[in-house]
Parts: sequence; C-alpha cells; structure tokens
Amino acid sequence: MSVSQASEALLAGTSKDVSTPALLVLEDGTSFVGISCGAQGEVFGEVCFNTSVEGYLEILTDPSYSGQIVCMTYPQIGNYGVSEDDVQRGSIAARGMIVRDMCRTPSSWRCQESMPDLMKRSGVVCIEGVDTRSLVRHLRDAGSMRGAISTVDLDPSSLLEKVRASAGLVGENLVKDVSRPGQDDMPNTPDAHIFAVGKAPSSRYEVVAYDCGAKNSILQCMEREGMHITRVPWDAPAEKVLAMAPDGVFLSNGPGDPEAVGATIEEVGKLIGKVPIFGICLGHQMLGLAAGGEATKLKFGHRGGNHPVLNLLTGRVEVTSQNHGFAIGFNTLGSLIPEESGGISENFDDLREWIDLGIAPVVMNDRFGRVRLTHVSLNDGTLEGAQFLDVPAFSVQYHPEASPGPVDSRYLFSAFARLMDGESDALDMDIAKMRTASWVFGGEGDAEAA
Amino acid sequence: MPKRPDINKVLVIGSGPIVIGQACEFDYSGAQACKVLKEQGVDVVLVNSNPATIMTDPGLAQRTYVEPVTADAVKEIIQKERPDALLPTLGGQTGLNCAVELAKSGILDELGVEMIGCSLDAIERGEDRKLFNECMEELGIETSRAGYAYSVEDALGIVEDIGYPIVIRPSFTLGGAGGGIAHSEDELIRIVSQGISLSPAGEVLVEESIEGWKEFEMEVVRDAQGNGIVVCSIENLDPMGIHTGDSITVAPAQTLTDIEYQRMRTASLAVLEKIGVQTGGSNVQFAVNPKDGRMVIIEMNPRVSRSSALASKATGFPIAKIAALLAIGFTLPELENDITKASTACFEPALDYCVVKVPRFTFEKFKGTDDTLTTRMKAVGEVMAIGRTFEEALGKALRSLEDGHDGFGGDAASDAEASMSDEDLMSAVGRPTADRIHHVAEALRRGVSVEDIHEASGIDEFFLYRMADIIAVERALAGMELEDLDADALRVCKSFGLSDAQIAHLTGSDESTVRTCRKVLRVLPAMKTVDTCAAEFESQTEYHYKTYDAKESEGSSSGKPKVMILGAGPNRIGQGIEFDYCCVHASYALSDAGYETIMVNCNPETVSTDYDTSDKLYFEPLTFEDVMDIVEAEDPEGVIVTLGGQTPLKLASRLADAGVPIMGTQPEAIDLAEDRDRFSAILDDLGIAYPASGMASSLSEARCVADRIGFPLLVRPSYVLGGRGMGIVYDGAQLERYMEEATKVSPDHPVYLDRFLEGAIEVDLDAVSDGDDVYIGAILEHIEMAGIHSGDSACCTPPFSLSESVQQTLMQAARRIAKRIGVKGLINIQFAIKDGLVYVIEANPRASRTVPFASKATGVPLAKIAARVMAGEKLADMGLPPDDRRLDHFSVKEAVMPFGRFPGADTVLGPEMKSTGEVMGIARNFPVAFAKTQLAIDYELPSSGKVFVSVCDHDKRAFMPIARDFSRMGFSLVATKGTANALRAVGLECEVVDKIHEGSSNVRDMIANGEITLVINTPYGHATRGDGYEIRTEAVRRGITQVTNLAGAQAMAAAIEVAQGSGLDTVALQDLPQWA
Repeated sequence: MSVSQASEALLAGTSKDVSTPALLVLEDGTSFVGISCGAQGEVFGEVCFNTSVEGYLEILTDPSYSGQIVCMTYPQIGNYGVSEDDVQRGSIAARGMIVRDMCRTPSSWRCQESMPDLMKRSGVVCIEGVDTRSLVRHLRDAGSMRGAISTVDLDPSSLLEKVRASAGLVGENLVKDVSRPGQDDMPNTPDAHIFAVGKAPSSRYEVVAYDCGAKNSILQCMEREGMHITRVPWDAPAEKVLAMAPDGVFLSNGPGDPEAVGATIEEVGKLIGKVPIFGICLGHQMLGLAAGGEATKLKFGHRGGNHPVLNLLTGRVEVTSQNHGFAIGFNTLGSLIPEESGGISENFDDLREWIDLGIAPVVMNDRFGRVRLTHVSLNDGTLEGAQFLDVPAFSVQYHPEASPGPVDSRYLFSAFARLMDGESDALDMDIAKMRTASWVFGGEGDAEAA
Repeated sequence: MPKRPDINKVLVIGSGPIVIGQACEFDYSGAQACKVLKEQGVDVVLVNSNPATIMTDPGLAQRTYVEPVTADAVKEIIQKERPDALLPTLGGQTGLNCAVELAKSGILDELGVEMIGCSLDAIERGEDRKLFNECMEELGIETSRAGYAYSVEDALGIVEDIGYPIVIRPSFTLGGAGGGIAHSEDELIRIVSQGISLSPAGEVLVEESIEGWKEFEMEVVRDAQGNGIVVCSIENLDPMGIHTGDSITVAPAQTLTDIEYQRMRTASLAVLEKIGVQTGGSNVQFAVNPKDGRMVIIEMNPRVSRSSALASKATGFPIAKIAALLAIGFTLPELENDITKASTACFEPALDYCVVKVPRFTFEKFKGTDDTLTTRMKAVGEVMAIGRTFEEALGKALRSLEDGHDGFGGDAASDAEASMSDEDLMSAVGRPTADRIHHVAEALRRGVSVEDIHEASGIDEFFLYRMADIIAVERALAGMELEDLDADALRVCKSFGLSDAQIAHLTGSDESTVRTCRKVLRVLPAMKTVDTCAAEFESQTEYHYKTYDAKESEGSSSGKPKVMILGAGPNRIGQGIEFDYCCVHASYALSDAGYETIMVNCNPETVSTDYDTSDKLYFEPLTFEDVMDIVEAEDPEGVIVTLGGQTPLKLASRLADAGVPIMGTQPEAIDLAEDRDRFSAILDDLGIAYPASGMASSLSEARCVADRIGFPLLVRPSYVLGGRGMGIVYDGAQLERYMEEATKVSPDHPVYLDRFLEGAIEVDLDAVSDGDDVYIGAILEHIEMAGIHSGDSACCTPPFSLSESVQQTLMQAARRIAKRIGVKGLINIQFAIKDGLVYVIEANPRASRTVPFASKATGVPLAKIAARVMAGEKLADMGLPPDDRRLDHFSVKEAVMPFGRFPGADTVLGPEMKSTGEVMGIARNFPVAFAKTQLAIDYELPSSGKVFVSVCDHDKRAFMPIARDFSRMGFSLVATKGTANALRAVGLECEVVDKIHEGSSNVRDMIANGEITLVINTPYGHATRGDGYEIRTEAVRRGITQVTNLAGAQAMAAAIEVAQGSGLDTVALQDLPQWA
C-alpha cells in the first residue's frame, strides 16, 4: 500500500492515519510497503504469524513472543481496542506487529484505549496495509525467518542488509530478559475478569513457578485451582526451590530456543522425582531436555488458536492455543517398551500412527524411568504432551491457559492439582465435565463460580 | 470409530417446499449428506416433496420419494423400505417435526428404526422452552426472564411481572413464525393469540425483551466421542429484536474480546452436551448486553440450519456433510479437512477474511403489510460476500442484492434518501426495515454522529465507524473528477468496497470509463482462497473471492477448456432454487463432458455455491464488474447466462459487447424473444396466434390501446421477473391506478397491455433446441385459469384435459418458434388455449422455473441436456426417448404461498407471482397427484366439516357441480346470501352467514372460531379491501385451506374424494422411467 496525494484526500475524513509510511523486509529480500500504525522506529526479529481472531493484546504481551514480529492472519485487528486487564505480562513482548488493517475507532464496553495509541505509547513498531495472506503463504513455504519493520529506513536494500546482519533466534537466550529478577507472589485474577471467570477460591497448594516469562493467565488459572504461586527467576537453584518445600513446581512458558536455557534445564533435572512438576511450552521442552531428549526447530511453528491435539488417554480432541517453534522428539526420550506400547517396538516418526492404533506408548528414559506419550498434534503428528510414570511430572507443549484461544485444555490445571494429591491417573479427565468449571455465565452462576 | 456396520440403509427426511424461514439451504445440506452417505456405501431413502431440489435427483439416493413430508407418508415409506436408521436433522424444522411425530407414534421402535444424530429426548430438550430453560439453569447459563402462556390471560399475568416490551415466541414453529415483540397490551393480545394458534403445542413463551442487545450465533459440531468444535461465530449487525434470518450478519464475530468469546464458545459446547446432541451440527444463539457484557442464551437448534449453511460457505467447513458422517459412526479426528485434504476435520476454521450476509426482501409484492422487521422472519433470500475487510465485504454484499443499489451509499438509488427530512430519516434509522442500512448511510452522509446513530438503531459502533469511513471516502470522492484519481486513490476506493458503478456515479463518469481507467492504472483485483486455515496449510480446493490492495493472486488451472456458469444470485419470489438447480446440473454435465467448470454466485443457501459442485467457485456478486474481473482472470471458452434466471440474462448483452463468448442462445436471440415487437413479427410470420397487444408510456397512450383491444387487459412493465408489477385491469379506473403505480416499477421502460383471455387454459412448455432439432421436455397444463402467474399456478404433466391434436399443435408451434429465434439451449413457452384456439403468450429462451419439475416428471434431465447442447453436442446423438411418448403417471406441481408471513397483504392470486416454493405429487391419476401436493403443503386435507363458499356472479353457474361434490362427500355448506340463493336454487342445503360488514356474527367470526374447514372464495377484478380480503386474511391467520378460483376448487374436491377413499400410494422416482 502506498499513499498518493489524491488517496490522502480520499482518506482525510476517515479514521485512517496514513501520514507515516513503513516498510517490512524479510531476510530473503521479500518486502512490503505499508503504513505505520504504531510507534516510529525500526525493529528486527523473527517474523511469525498467528491465526487467532480475538486476543491480539494477549498475544503481543505474551513473553513467548519476545524477539518476534507477529503477523496477524485475521485482516482487521484492534476492533475492540485494548483493556489492560488482558495483558499477559507487564508490557508488550513482541518486537513488532504486521496487520492488513488496523482499527483506530474500536468499540467494546471493556475498551480503554485503541491499539495504535497503545502501540505508540509502548514504542512498538507496527505496519498495516500489508497483504498479510501472501506474507503468511510465503512464511508457510519458506519457513519463519528474520525480518524488520522500519518507519525510518524506507529503502528495501538498505533495510535488507540490516536484517541479514541482525541476530536470529536459534541459540539466543531471550528468557533472561523476560524472567523477573527476584522472588515474588503471583498476580491475581483482575477484578475486571470476574464477570466471566468468577472469583478464585482460597489456596490449598503452594506452588513454585520458574518464571521464564510466564503469562499471567497461566498463574491465574492455577490460582483458580486453589494454588498459591511464588515466582522464582529462570535460573533459581533447585536446592533453593526445594528448600521452600512446595507442593509442586511449575515450569513456565518462555521465548526462544530451549537449548539456550541450559542453566534452568540443569536445575529441572535436579527437581524431577523430588516434587510434582507441571510444564507448559518452554517448560515442557525443558522437562524433556532435562530427561535427555532433543528439541528440533519446526519448519512451520505452531501459532494459532485452532490447533487440534488428541489426548491418547481419553481419545478426546482438545482445540488448543499454540505458540512454539521447537518440539521435543518423543523417540529421543528413550526406547519403546513394547509391553506397555501394544507390543510395538519400533517408534513412529509421525505420532498420529498411535492414534489410529489407540495406544498411548511408553518409552524407557535413562534417567527418570518410564515416559508415556499423552498428547499428539493432529496437524503434524508432533509431540504435544508427555507424562512421567515413575516420577510425578507431566507437561504439554501447547497452552492450556489459552488467552487467547479455546480453553478445552484447562482441565490440565486440575490435573496438576490431582498430581500434587498423588493421583497417578491425573491426566485421565473428561473434558466435558470440566468444561464449565471456572466460568461464570451470568445470573445465578455467580455464587458457585469457584 | 469407523462407520457403524449395522447402518446400511438410512432414511433422510427433507424440508419440503421452500417457504420463508426454510429455503434451499436445506437442499444444500441434504444433497451434501445424501452424496456422502452414498460414497460410504449407505443406501439412502429420501423423502422430500420439493421437486426443485438437487437432493431429489434420482441419482443422489437409492430410493427417492417425492412425497409429502407427513408422518403418514413417511410411515408408509418406512414400512416399504425398512431402513436401519432415520436421520432427522437435515430437513429443517419440517423434517424434525415429522421425525418427532414418527418417533412418538412408536413406529420407529416397532420396526427397529434408530433415530441417529439426535434422539427424541435431545430434540425435545432443544425445542421445548421449558426443558431447555431447565437445562440452562443447571449449567448456570442465563436465559431471559420468561414464562409460558397457553392463553392470552396467562400472557397478561406474566407481563405483570416483567413489563413491556415483551417478546412472544410460539413453541415448535418454523423460523419463529407467529412470534413478535409487543409494546402494549393490544399488541400482546394480538401476537399471543396468533402465536398460540400457530404453535402445534398451543404454547407461547412470553419473555423479557432484550431488544437492542448484540446478537451472536455459534455453529457447533460434535461427535459421538464427545469432541466438539465451533466451526464459526457469527455476529449480527442488527441488534436483538430482529430475526437472525432478517439481520445483516458478519462472520467471524467482530467485537468480542477473547475472554468473552471463549466464554461463549465454552457455553455453546456445554449446551450441546447438556441437551444431549449425540452427533452433528447445532446452532446456539446468544445475546450480549453491550453495556456490561451480560450474556444470555436465546435458543439452540439441534440440527443443521440456515446459519449452518452460511457458516459452511463462510468457512469452507461442510457442516452437513460432516454431520452425516458423524451420524453413521465416524468421529471428527478421523475425518479429513475437506478443503485442505491435509489435516483433520477436528479443528476450528481460521478465517483471514470477513464475511457479510445480507437478507433479501420482497415487501413490494405484499402491499398492505407492515415492513418493520421483527422476530418473525420475512426475508425470502440472502446474499453473502467475502472481502478482506468488513468494508469491502459490505459493499460487495449490498451490490449483490440486485435491489437497485451498487453498494453502500454513493449510487443513484441512494440519492432517493436525500429528500427525506432529518426527522423522518432518524426515525427510519431507528426502525428496522429492509432499507435501514441505506438510511444509516444517508444519516452518516448528513454528518449525524456515530453515537447518535448507535443510540437510534442499536447497531454496534464498530460497524458504524467502518461505515462512516466508507461514507467519508465517498464524500471526498464526490468532489473529485475521475481524472483526479491515480492508482493509489483508486485502490483506496476499492479497499473500502466501492464498485466501479459507485466511483462513476460519484465522479460523474460512467462505469466503463472507470473500468478502462482502472485497468490502465493497473488497479486490478487479486483472487484469494477460502481455505479454512488462514493459509497456514496448503489447500487443494479452488474456492475463491476477489479483493484489492493485494500483492498476490491465487488459483491454478487444470489445463482443460474452461466454462463459466453464472448463477442466479439471491433467492427472491420469481427467481429461486429452480434456477440454481439448472446451474448445478449444467456444471455436472459439462464436467462430465471434459470441461473445467467455474461457478460464479453470491447466494450462500445454494448447492451451486458448494465448493464441491464445480471445479472452481468464485463467491462474488453477479454484476458486470465482478463477472468481467473473473472472466479476465480465467479466460473461459464460454460463459453460460441462460440458466440463472434474469440475473445473468440481463448481463448477457454487455458481456457479449465486451467480447465475452456467450455459450448457447446468443443475446441477439434473447432480445428477439423479449422485444415484443420483434417477437410479434416472428409470430405473424409463422402464422401463430397471440393475444392482441399494445404498448404505452403514458396513461393517455394506455387508454388508446384499451380502446383498440378492449378490456380486460393484462398490463405489465417490460423486462420483469416473476411478473413483478403485473396486473389485470377490468376498466378505465383500474387502468388509471395501475399506470400511476407502474411508473415506479421501471421508469425507463414502457408498459405492455395485452388482451386478457379470461377463462382460457394456460399451458407451459419446456423444450431444448440445438438449432436443428427441438426436444419437447414437457407440456404442463395449468389448473388455474389464465391470469394467474404461471409460478403461482398449479400444473400437471402430461396434460389431463388437452386433446392429442391440441398437444400436437403446441409442440409444432414450439419447434418452429425455437428454431426461428435461434435457441441453443432451453426455451420455455407459455400458451393460452381459449375456444380451441392456441395463443402464444410469451417465449423465454432460457431456463424456466418448471425445468426441475418437468425433468423429474419425465425422467429426462433437461438442464443437463441443454448444457451439453450449449457445448456443441447434438440432440440427435444423445439417444433421448421420443418426446411424444406416453407416460403412465401424472405429476402435479403446486405453488406454496407465504401469506402467513405478511399479515395484511391480500391473498388473491393474480399475474404477479407471490409464491416462494413448490411441491410435487406423483400418482397414477391427476386427482391423487393433486391431493398429494395439497398434503405436502398443508400436511392434512379437510375431511369433514363446514365449507364456506362465496363465489362471484361470474363463477356461480360453473360452481354448482363442485358444491354438489362437497355436499355428497359429507361437508356442509355455508354461504353468503348471493351464493346461498344460487345453491338453494339447484337444491343444495346451506347455512347463510352474514358478510363481514352486515352484522356482528359474521363469517370472519366463524373462521376465527374454527368452525370452517375450507374456504372457497373467488373474487372478481383486483379488489384490495372489502369482504373477500377480510375473509381470506382471517383464513390465512387461522391456517385454513382456501381456494380462490374455480379450477382449484374442482381439483380440491377430486383430491378430497380420493383421500377419503383408497388412500395415497407412495412412489419412488427410481420406479418410474429415467433417462440418464
């Protein structure tokens, strides 16, 4: 999109502000001309996309998006504005945002500010007027890549040079930037969310959370399961955590390459078997790596609010919210135990084969004993969740807290509570029965929210 | 789990005729289901009385019964066919009600037929408001405060607690029929009494009004393992208080924050689980208070619906197809994503575009009725448009409607609103009507603030701000000349959804100059794909839409020669599913003949816009601009314009002028038939008679014509569809009134005046010509006398009263006319036969409304043959059965009227078409076939009781034998004084009743009290008010069968006699001769 004088005259009376041009360049030389709809400046990062329609603010404030420039596939973003209660963590984590059309005149009873105003205030560079669908098709075929948005350098070749000189995500420790330095208590469910999720009950469990960039909504979900959370930094020593005598340890989500957080992985190795552990996303990867597994970068990262995952224990599908570019190989965790895997001794590359067989296979891990495959991506057959059978720990690659996205998997927070209660079949739960828990639909429901 | 091994034969119940609230979306759903069940090796037994459907094509099911969707008929079919299971969720409310009746009768248990998809209990929990509300209470989901009323007194009691305004919803009625909002006691009494009488349970829900709240719909699919997904969320632009079928709707939901959306999603899934929908699609509706997010559930439908059809088209997720597979045992994760062929069906589609649906109304057909939109659906069709932004989609949708607008504001039609006073305008903005969206545009043009418009209309500010932007661009554009616009500026116009016609109007240019200019500046559209996944995965399906300001165009080609078929656009009275049927058949036939088929249409209800039907689908408006853009992108060898009714036909000459190759009958030939003078000259030349006629552009000219040819006259404007604006005038005063109104219909075109052949028998003839040979598809003899629009008239084939020689004359005339005009494809000719003479009324060298019926009646698929002829094949090479062969069964088509939806409109049939749909009855003889059609419409025939008779003087003599028949069959006669005298004179006993204006205890009271079972009332001339009108209106209100002409009365008497006697045998199409 470019702007001539005549087009400026046409847009003069609209809500559009086309005064500042912007440029998007990818490391392979692809470029898009557009209009700035955020702060002025120049940002570099890994360009990725997200298919959620709602929840743009939750995405941008998710620390897992640190180091990334997010392209929203839904063309019109900002429709309901922003409410600070939806923020996932302090400030905007993503480095930039790409949209087809940005809304400057939002409408919602919850709206406090428009997206462009927030972006400007937060110093986040955004570009609109981009054919985002063609960008997504390009990223789909070529894989995620580095890129830049600039409002100061509108020369594609000069910006391209800078993109190629910028750092990539592989091997970069982004976690240390987003993890909090000290130990603190969890943020509570905002009062403004009580209309939909009700008040939290009083706490029954003490949980220590490794904060590698934890989303507020994860902690809020745990709060609503009766957990009191103490956050510790990403590199907190295991001894110190164990000394706090928690009922369980939570390994949070976080940005970037899991191999870059070796320090945490080492500490996790020391915790496994000593205390019930639940990991989400980066936390899941750290658990796998601590057990000697390997992570590989996916050609197409999973980023969206509609990813189907099958729970092999229940045969039920959960529509999940996902945001990861790396995955743990199930077969890197150990070799199959045929007696516990339906007599099969050869692992499949595509884990969906297990679905057809109706088997949740188990491998023998050198360090921690048996590990069962519990969750599989229906889209590409990669590992989405695993459970240690001889030590109390399980983890999922996706985001059961959603925010944004479907909340089918919120039962996993109850499962964590059950794990802390010592129940061995913690993950075998009926989604339907759990579905309405922790939601308030209005009227009479308020009283029994908890 | 794979397919259940114990289900090998499934009975599918269709939705019967097209009526308001239940249209061809159920053909789309049903056809999908039948197709996929057959692919799975399941034998499908289908019952549907609607012949214009694809699902009743004999190839789609093993056994196809075009029979009434009544428990009696279906019971007989079950006994005959012994299916393993019954799938009740695909036939709309009609199918569901029929299934419930069957289940309750015990016949299903008795014969071991399992109801799959949805159990009786679940249906009742979903449909019965009391049970539903209990379920919701258990879930903690709020419903609006309400109570049940079985009488007006009950209702008044409930209102005491809640207060006005109050919403009334009758239980178990279709599309909310009989419901409404009452603001006062008078309104309450009226709506409640009407609702109770329309509800099969005699029950209405009286509930708190949440008028003005935001309305949302969630389309949910669930499998037997309990996997549930939300396929699509839909937000209504019009707030609560307007039936969702009458609302402009947008997908995906636009104004919900994530937490609100997820709460609604969770509630939707929980509702299905609670209600107990085992498998399949359901629709759950919510209202949200825009001030505080309070969410209230409105209702759920445990079946596929109009919204699920829309959701399927909007997302590319085929809900009905998946639902059918789930019903026979499959689960969601084991089914494939039908569009990408890469991932599973167990996911939630991600949209990277915006979809806008706009309903199509036809209030102009029903003078006298209130055009305010309420909770009772009145739309007869809808369009859907896809754009990258709401602005783009809205503009496209509004220009798809074919109501004279070229988009949102900025066109000649919008200038009409400019003359309204500010006060009138704001009250129009506040009153929901078909035109409100244009009133909003005008208000924005006048600078009324978004806040004020929101206050008046309840439309969410999000949508109003988007519309305000469009108007701002238009206002700026109005001050510019076309030459001022560079490429960037044109792109801005396009990204706000403006059509070339709007740009031309606003810059004082013309459309073709704008187009040329745009192309020179390389402002060209890009084609994007609907792929369910926002491009995350590669897609294998060619389902496209057009957008601007895009970098990349998608789509690939098979390398085969391409043919493009232009669809029929939105359903409306006069142009409905019949034309879609023809387009779909053409697509099938041409695909078989080796072509790559490309469908262009904007109607989401249809089979033609199923991405499965053609090799490529463009979901686009059928305007010159949009069609040309696709032509230029695809470069087809030929474009078919003669199958989609007037919509593509009126583009024909412009397309031809632009160098587009038109397949089949050429625009020149179409003009020969449509131009009255040229056509008359041909008939003169061929020596074929036609009624005397003339043409007039003014009243004085009309008077001259009337003097020359005499009254009565059939008058109509030129180039019309479905007889819009037609009328019969009997004297000078009526002519004067007509001429005053006619100028509004089509100001640039003159009015035609034909000698009206009163009492003539009318005949339709459908034929296919290849230029050398003409194949007569069917001769359809109308039951009503000439003067009633052929679309509203019942007809029978083969003719039941025409002599062999008359039929020969008709066929001869048709062959000569078709050849002379130069038809290559279908032609429909209407004849009138009076005093043994055959007159040609008109010839239409295109698909007619009767093609599907004629094809089913004769077993010869005329549209397919026509498409092959257009592609160059010869009739002589097709091995068709002789067209003068004798069929040993009769097929009757009867029209279905929507009067119940339009209280206040007159129900007399005339030359202006008013029906929405049709049913078919097949039997060994005419009366039985006719009886079946009456059953298919009213679901039962009167068998005893009082027949009210009031016939005009002209009909009195001919009516006496019919009256005698009714008397003999045990009916008692009730008549007004004049008719009573005539009856007594021939020795028939009857009760005399006062005319309405004569006394307190009059005929209307008798009808209102339920004392009358059948009304026979034949009016004379074009009365709008008076007794006849009041009587007919009351009969409509009470749902009493009525006959308004002699021929109909005669057929009705014969039908009742048959029904009282031997009963009606069911017939499967597969048992009749079929040519394939």
